[in-house]
Amino acid sequence: MLSSKHFFLLPAFLTLVAIILFPLLFTIRVSFSSWDVFQSGLDYIGGKNYGRVFADERFWKSLGRLSLLSLISVSLQYTLGFALALAVWKQVRGGRFLRVLFLIPMMTTPVVMSVIWRTVFHESLGPANDILGMFGVGAVPWLSSATGAFISVLIVEVWQWTPFMFLLLLAGLVSLPREPYLAAAIDGAGTWRTFWQVTFPLMAPITIGALIIRLIEASKIMDTVYVLTSGGPGTATETSSYYIYIRGLRDFQIGYSAALSLVYLVIMIVSLTVIAKLLLRLLVGKVG
Amino acid sequence: MAEIVLENLGHSYLSDPKDEADFALKPVNLTWQDGKTYALLGPSGCGKTTMLNIISGIVAPSHGRLLFDRQDVTQTPTVERNIAQVFQFPVIYSTKTVRQNLAFPLECRGVAPVRIKARVAEVATLLDLDYALDMPARRLSADQKQLISLGRGLVREDVSAILLDEPLTVIDPQMKFMLRRKLREINRETGMTMILVTHDQSEAMSFADEIVVMKDGLLQQSGTPGELFSRPQNDFVGYFIGSPPMNMITLETRDGVLGTDALDLTKNLTVGTAGSRHQLGIRPEHVSLVAANAENIGLGKIKKIEHLGVDGVVTLQLATGVLIKAKTRKHVEMSVGQTLGVNVLTDDALLYIEGSLALAQ
Repeated sequence: MLSSKHFFLLPAFLTLVAIILFPLLFTIRVSFSSWDVFQSGLDYIGGKNYGRVFADERFWKSLGRLSLLSLISVSLQYTLGFALALAVWKQVRGGRFLRVLFLIPMMTTPVVMSVIWRTVFHESLGPANDILGMFGVGAVPWLSSATGAFISVLIVEVWQWTPFMFLLLLAGLVSLPREPYLAAAIDGAGTWRTFWQVTFPLMAPITIGALIIRLIEASKIMDTVYVLTSGGPGTATETSSYYIYIRGLRDFQIGYSAALSLVYLVIMIVSLTVIAKLLLRLLVGKVG
Repeated sequence: MAEIVLENLGHSYLSDPKDEADFALKPVNLTWQDGKTYALLGPSGCGKTTMLNIISGIVAPSHGRLLFDRQDVTQTPTVERNIAQVFQFPVIYSTKTVRQNLAFPLECRGVAPVRIKARVAEVATLLDLDYALDMPARRLSADQKQLISLGRGLVREDVSAILLDEPLTVIDPQMKFMLRRKLREINRETGMTMILVTHDQSEAMSFADEIVVMKDGLLQQSGTPGELFSRPQNDFVGYFIGSPPMNMITLETRDGVLGTDALDLTKNLTVGTAGSRHQLGIRPEHVSLVAANAENIGLGKIKKIEHLGVDGVVTLQLATGVLIKAKTRKHVEMSVGQTLGVNVLTDDALLYIEGSLALAQ
């Protein structure tokens, strides 16, 4: 059964226990307790916390908002990233310089960039309204209106993560075989047909990978919201992770936020699996 | 249908080629007749794919002209040439069905839907793909996918030549045989010129009416499979065509007469320029082995016997220590170490001077 060779697995196993297994099991245990500011400790209150989660309208609304934000921002990142990658793919003058330039947003710290963007979007002092003013557009309530704040978060997300898409898709484009393009040229396909019939299908596996990675990342959005809008105005830009943060680390409802986290985790696992399957079926045509 | 003429056609990937070595394809004159099957044969990097890509228009040649039916098409873009090309790896449009794949080149050229439908049906019948027409193309096996690639060329009515760039490399051996036969059938039925690029001599031999052998960007010999086998123009062709390669036995000049102690040749061989390298080329298939006491032109001791199914390749060491290979079926009573008599017909021994076939023969 257990021989000496299995002990070689021990370091990796212990690390796994310390960073994944223990926190997960502990969170599950905590979610069945009423641990908060008044009552610190692991009592047992059954599924009360979960009952509260399902009745918590603010949580479900934040989840809906998060879904919308992720879908729109990731779609935009994909489209823009693909367009940029296609532009740099064919030998362009200064292509190497552009490639580095495009990657800068991704390399900067989200919090720092969010602070800068908050300044840009500042209604009276920020350059965004200043520039719009030059074109005769009145002051836009970037961060003080619900829609404005949502769009602001969206812009920062797209700005920061398009380079990531760009990088993945460019790597994909560079590795594409040459023959399909030659064949398409001989078949008489123009630029547009070549893109839809050759480039896009060949890029499907990379597309799926890139979209899934970005969706996972986007669903965890927290720092941008925290710095840029703090979930406001009201709860207009409050996402799930930000709401869990409020409940757990601001209100110190440890037990309840543990239940929220677990529900959120399950929803994410299920929905991302479904999305991955759908994308596979849609883009590659594989069943199952 | 078209006759393809390569007029002093050469290509260098360098912008300013200094000498011959800078050419991927050294200037060549060749005529591909309408309706025949050709094979471009040579080791990797010999310039055969470059030549093919020049014909299809993917590469613009740096030197010379390319004529289709006496019309200069050197600068004509790929789309406007009456050429189809099948690549090493099957190229299919993976999101489309077989039918849509076959229809694609016609759609791109704006052919009327009724005509497209008829052409696709015709080509599918020719390729035995009727049953798969509505299947997604990506579900098909590699050889069927290669048929689709071919079909996209056949479906066009303007195509006069099909270029095949090692299309059988990724196909299973059994399917390879079938596909090769299919290609010949299509050639007979449609009368389309077919040019096959390959480094497999048996593939070239069984496919082509005429084979063009290339090496280092230079044309070595062009001729029917029979000619290449029986009269290789130089030692490279002798080495490259045939398995095992041609035996090359060095000759010495004695009193103005060429000869070797290894074999007692009755042939009267003319000496070329004094001091040049003289060799005798003998196909292993033309070496016959007899018992040591029977009439022979030399004795050899068996060093190695390789069995190749029905045939066997016997390596013998001749009197001077020179090795000679014989391809024979009589390997039953042979054993390593045994001494046998060697015979070669006079006509089957060819004289090579400095690696080139002596013209006197």
